[in-house]
Amino acid sequence: MFLMIAVMAFAAWLIGRSRARGFSSTSLRPTALPSHYATFLALCTAGPAALFAAIWPFLSDTLVSRAIMGLPVAQKLPSAAIDRGAILSEARGLADGTVEAAFNPLSYELAEPIAELSRQYALIGTGLLVALAAIGFSIGFLKLKPAFRARQRVEAVVMLCLMLASLVALATTFGIVASLIFEAGRFFSMVPATEFLFGTHWAPTGEVIAGQDNGFGAVPLFWGTIFIGAIIAMIVAVPLGVMVAIYLTQYAPSAVRAWLKPALEMLAGVPTVVYGYFAALTLGPVIREWALWLGMENPTSESALTAGLVMGVMIIPLISSMADDSIAAVPQSMRDGSLAMGATTSETIKRVLIPAALPGVVGGVLLAVSRAIGETMIVVMAAGLAANLTLNPLSSVTTVTTQIVQLLTGDQEFDSAKTLAAFALGLVLFIVTLLLNIFALRIVKKYREAYD
Amino acid sequence: MTIHAAPPVRLTPTDWRSSKMTSRIARRYAAERRFRLLGLGAVALATGFLAFLLIHMMSNGISGLNWTFLSQSDATDPAQVGIWGAFKGSLLTMVVTLVLSFPVGVLAALYLEEYAPRNRWTDLIEVSINNLAAVPSIIFGLLGLAIFLNTFHLPRSAPLVGGLTLALMTMPVIVIAGRNAIKAVPPSIRDAALGVGASPVQVVFHHVLPLALPGILTGTIIGMARALGETAPLLMIGMRAFIATPPGGVTDPATVLPVQIFLWSDEVSQGFVEKTSAAIIVLLAFLLAMNGLAIYLRNKFEKRW
Repeated sequence: MFLMIAVMAFAAWLIGRSRARGFSSTSLRPTALPSHYATFLALCTAGPAALFAAIWPFLSDTLVSRAIMGLPVAQKLPSAAIDRGAILSEARGLADGTVEAAFNPLSYELAEPIAELSRQYALIGTGLLVALAAIGFSIGFLKLKPAFRARQRVEAVVMLCLMLASLVALATTFGIVASLIFEAGRFFSMVPATEFLFGTHWAPTGEVIAGQDNGFGAVPLFWGTIFIGAIIAMIVAVPLGVMVAIYLTQYAPSAVRAWLKPALEMLAGVPTVVYGYFAALTLGPVIREWALWLGMENPTSESALTAGLVMGVMIIPLISSMADDSIAAVPQSMRDGSLAMGATTSETIKRVLIPAALPGVVGGVLLAVSRAIGETMIVVMAAGLAANLTLNPLSSVTTVTTQIVQLLTGDQEFDSAKTLAAFALGLVLFIVTLLLNIFALRIVKKYREAYD
Repeated sequence: MTIHAAPPVRLTPTDWRSSKMTSRIARRYAAERRFRLLGLGAVALATGFLAFLLIHMMSNGISGLNWTFLSQSDATDPAQVGIWGAFKGSLLTMVVTLVLSFPVGVLAALYLEEYAPRNRWTDLIEVSINNLAAVPSIIFGLLGLAIFLNTFHLPRSAPLVGGLTLALMTMPVIVIAGRNAIKAVPPSIRDAALGVGASPVQVVFHHVLPLALPGILTGTIIGMARALGETAPLLMIGMRAFIATPPGGVTDPATVLPVQIFLWSDEVSQGFVEKTSAAIIVLLAFLLAMNGLAIYLRNKFEKRW
């Protein structure tokens, strides 16, 4: 259908252009370029038709199912809505050819009339489409005169498209918030929010009994997330990231920097599933051996330390680039002053640059924390599933993101408390990362203003 | 009350050759060297990790790269598995992502940078774009599950839904990169075009956009590379099925390279270790090529006005 519209629009464009070229022979000076007239005509032809083509599939579906219900065969359908829907969708699959064999013999009987009806409605749709395009074309064609301001019309449409495009971002944000709140609301109507936010027992089951501990206490998850993402990973990433930034900006010769910067970008560009695989298969066993050597009983290769270390490495480029920016933003005069007083480079860095750049670095660390707690694949593959409230980095902990994946990739009954719990966890994750980001950006912005 | 004169300060020139001073200077220089070494050590650790990761994957997986591996799809026997099905799924998903996110992202960037009036709506749009760029990817997966699958009933496990979800994720990256590229076009170009009678729309589409395009493309490639390596949102929308035949279209069930790596990494059979590493090599090769292209574009077309 859309191919047809494109062909018709192109034809209209060509006709419009040849028509507009004829204007130059008349005495009146045209108010727009031939391509403007042509585009206007093409828009007149394709616009209404495209709109129609977008809604027609939904419309024809409803019409087809209504028509089937009126057929004599449909009288045999069971009255229960679920059974009826199952048979109908099966019959529809048979008619499309997407389903090879049906469970219900009735589906075969229905398939033939459905296919027939679909063909009819497809024909009707195509006819309507062509008619709409023709009407649009004739209206547009009658308007094509030298005095007609085609450019303004075309540009108004362009501006509308630009505005719609920028509204997509707003719609996405709205969609995220709405879907999370809606599904989480359904979850909280089954499980009280206090149990979810303050309970310490996590062992979700599909069935929920009111007034009883249903294993939806998410505190161990929150702790695991903070332990891995905000503590272990940051212990690795903050010193390393800041030192990398200092070395690259203050010490490294520019030739070395030209090579190291892309290497660091590559470190940031490695997919997290690769990090996760590395953590689970290479680092995990090493840590396990180490824990055994330390005298731990039954150590696991899925430990908080494994995930945290690898996540820390993944975060290094982020912290180093943020620290890089904030060190570069410190006025040169401060550095020069310190060096002129006789301080060595390292003393200048430690006593002048770092304190001056600290707000920017802190902002960067907050952004890194928000990245780390939202990170999924590393913890799914390396951190384990046991919901422990523990301070021991060698034991297994689980995180919010791991549990979201776990809850949503098992059984797929969408209305169970288990799957809805994933949305509640997602809502918490979204709110926390949002607050961290807003806070971090505010700090960075304020600090930039201080030196501008 | 009498004022006592302060005792005169005895200024003696510092004797830099005294043992106290030389040792102090030596100490400070040693601290300087230590600090420098520490920085070098941090850089070496970070790049060393990267090198170790790459070499490790290479040595594990290079023997698994052969024609069967490149042309077959998933199977239960590790000797028979291949990457082609997942690769095709990735390709289809990326096409959907690019087709949706590139035009929308560029148009939104143009609007925000060139036309948008300064008002509350514009601020709201800007804030939401900046926040979307920082939202964890798994949240986009939840969005895809709730909206595309459960509300619109689009097919599960399909590249269409994966592409839609990743497009929403990639779009803010393209908008932000696009705005920076558009900002870098000097105002004199716009003034000149307006001066010879171009309309605001013509100024932007005939002059600003072509000049900003290399920068926009660089940002787009980086965003696409990120989308190509993304796993978590695709797990949410069910692209983790066992797919033994390559998908024929955007609505067929499919899986993608990173998810295939994740699925194989869960297999117990020893043969899958080699195959997983080989798949990682293929994925990293593509990402490297894309990033290399982006860096090349940036260096070749970067203009200093």
